[in-house]
Amino acid sequence: MNKRKIKQKNDPVQTIFSRFMLIVAFFAIWIGVIGVRLVHLQVNQHSWLLERALDQRRDETKSKMLRGSILDRSNRALAVSVKVKSLYADPQEIDDVQGTAQKVATALKLKTQEVASTIQEAKDKKKRFVWIGRKIDESSVVKINDQLKVADLKKYDEPKFKGLHWKEEQKRSYPYNSLAAQVIGFSDLDDYGKAGIELSQEQNLRGAVIEKWKDRDRLGRVYEESDDEEREPPKDVVLTISNSIQYKVEEALKEGVESARAKSGMAIVLDPKTGEILAMANYPTFDLNKFSEATPELYANKSVQNAYTPGSVFKLVTYGSALEEKLINPNDELDCNNGTLDIAGHIFNDKHCLTKISYINAFAISSNIGAIRTGQKVGKDKFFNFARQFGFGEQTGVELPAESKGILRSPEKWSADSLASMSIGYEIGVTALQSAAAFATIANDGIRVKPHIIKEIQQEGKTVSTTQVEKTQVVSSETARQLRQMMQQVVLKGTGKRAQLNGYTSAGKTGTAWKYDEKLKKINDEKYISSFIGFAPIDNPSVVIAVILDEPQVAMRDGGHVSAPIFQDIAQQILPELNVPPDGFVRQEIAEDIIEGKEFKSDKNDKSSQKTTEKTVEKTEKENNSGNPKMTKNGNPDSTVTKAKTASIETKPKNETKNKSSGKGKT
Amino acid sequence: MKKRNSPNEKKVQVTRERDPIPWRYCLLTLVCGLLLVVGFFWAARQHFSAMDFGIRNAKLREQKKSLEDEQRRLYLNKEILLSPAEIKKMAKKIGLQDITSANIEAITAEPKSEKKDEKTLTVATKKPEDKDKAAQPKDKTQKDAPANTRPQIAKK
Repeated sequence: MNKRKIKQKNDPVQTIFSRFMLIVAFFAIWIGVIGVRLVHLQVNQHSWLLERALDQRRDETKSKMLRGSILDRSNRALAVSVKVKSLYADPQEIDDVQGTAQKVATALKLKTQEVASTIQEAKDKKKRFVWIGRKIDESSVVKINDQLKVADLKKYDEPKFKGLHWKEEQKRSYPYNSLAAQVIGFSDLDDYGKAGIELSQEQNLRGAVIEKWKDRDRLGRVYEESDDEEREPPKDVVLTISNSIQYKVEEALKEGVESARAKSGMAIVLDPKTGEILAMANYPTFDLNKFSEATPELYANKSVQNAYTPGSVFKLVTYGSALEEKLINPNDELDCNNGTLDIAGHIFNDKHCLTKISYINAFAISSNIGAIRTGQKVGKDKFFNFARQFGFGEQTGVELPAESKGILRSPEKWSADSLASMSIGYEIGVTALQSAAAFATIANDGIRVKPHIIKEIQQEGKTVSTTQVEKTQVVSSETARQLRQMMQQVVLKGTGKRAQLNGYTSAGKTGTAWKYDEKLKKINDEKYISSFIGFAPIDNPSVVIAVILDEPQVAMRDGGHVSAPIFQDIAQQILPELNVPPDGFVRQEIAEDIIEGKEFKSDKNDKSSQKTTEKTVEKTEKENNSGNPKMTKNGNPDSTVTKAKTASIETKPKNETKNKSSGKGKT
Repeated sequence: MKKRNSPNEKKVQVTRERDPIPWRYCLLTLVCGLLLVVGFFWAARQHFSAMDFGIRNAKLREQKKSLEDEQRRLYLNKEILLSPAEIKKMAKKIGLQDITSANIEAITAEPKSEKKDEKTLTVATKKPEDKDKAAQPKDKTQKDAPANTRPQIAKK
């Protein structure tokens, strides 16, 4: 034993080594055990542990990317989404419901009782989420956070108030308020498009839903988060609308509707060469930022959704088809048969045309008998085909929702006098855009360009697609030229004198149609639809402007009196803006004619009327204000014209077509 | 039979010869252990550093996001202020009026405003002692001048 001790004493290094190895072995075993345990945790219990770990440290949220913007043709924002915050409560975290409700109600300016009942109700139903206030802007959020701050509360997110949290949302803003309201449309509280471009372009504008996560440490600090850079951002829709032109059109339309005491009005400005819609206005309108306060009737874009009876504006098709078929020559004369025409027992009267008159003049004074006779020359089938080629009876294809295709019956369904009625713009329903597009066809040398309102689609400022236009030759350029000349006479000497422009030549056609009364179930000769559709300048038209007023109430309420001045107002404002060089002058004779209220007599003074003068627009304006003394007392310049069975096709009772009463027909 | 261990033989203590201590291996183990420990510390440092960078990165991201949001809000405000209706409102606020025939007629009364301008100039150049005198109404023309005289627009 002693020896052994001695031996041990003699070999201390060996002892140290042995102990060292013992420690190494201990650590090796320890590490081994830990390793086995780790393998067990990482392999066998991996998913369960991962779930627990993520639950502890990770915040997962779902949010939408900002909705794409709607821009005008100069890339000015018409609709933009901005980030806002919404306040929600987790009722299960709230102990003092009444106290919380009181504080929240004070901060958000709500009723305490309502907030309390909302939270309590959700708490009782074991809900963990209830909205308190939605879409609150950043400045208000800061104020609310200050008001709700509890100093000693340990909570990583704002507001520092137990049970209350912010959720990021987005709010759609319309910087121009009511500008192009029916065109742009609006999106609801959940950011889904509900009308206009917002609805039709939902697919492009919608922001993708992103699932975001944030890893937080024990102090609530975010140390890692998901990367959403790879997500495809939503697209921006660039319209052909010009905010400046749109504003001018809306102002002019508003003024025109109010001065005519009309029920409503529509105006469209179209570029005939490209088919781009530069402005599309409806009045009355509404504020897009407060759309919920407006009546739903105002949401409709009547320019494309409502079909109306065009009246004499449709004579464009009548004369256009006859010219194209070379059935008439503008200077040829037709016999008005003492201003009376009997078609299948239906008598059409026309006091403007009693004896012989040239086609060009018949068109200028909007003679119904002239148009009926022309229509009869064309024939049912050809007339129908031309109407279709001009784009009536089918959708234009504009990128706006709920577009009406209008009403154009096939010839098989026509009655004996349908052709006559349609020749003067009855028994047919058209939209304002269809009418404007038809006039644009003539302005564009007979080539119909599909009207469109979307210029291009952008993504992060880069163009991803551009609208391709469709072009169709409807009538020959010669026919278009002749029609333009005829329309020029309407403005120079006919029913559309008030559409004369200062510095520019213009052409167009007036239209005044009686409305069908749903209550009376017949035509109401007290209710008109007055329109003027024209273009300027004549030789190289830059714009086509359609103005349609519904139920003007003033004494003189035909298209030439109430709609043509709006055309004039719009054209004179926008042509210089579009850098269109002036090509015309104010013609003294014509201006005087308007001032004195003279009616068109003949075309003998054509050349003399071309003389230029320094007449100012003021005179024309004065005249416009004073009215035309030669008009009849009831304010109906065409009251002598036969009241036809007329009315819109969609509204006309069938038995009325057989009515032989000498009803009047508006021109 | 011969005994293997005869009693006569002196018992000799047999000591097993120990292997020499493998110092090289010990050192290696020690170094490995140290490396492991250092590695652990290094990893821990890296981890906390990464956490720190992550926190800072998250803060910067948050800041970037809030600045982008602010930029968007400012863009919206800019668009609102540049809208024709807003410009018109502002213009009216500073006294500008719509161009109407009435405005054009008002411009024709130029001699009156010129007279007024001259008088104003006279008042401005007068000595302080004349101040009281100048403050009195000059003449009927000035008295009758409209209170809301529109800014001069060049006559076309």
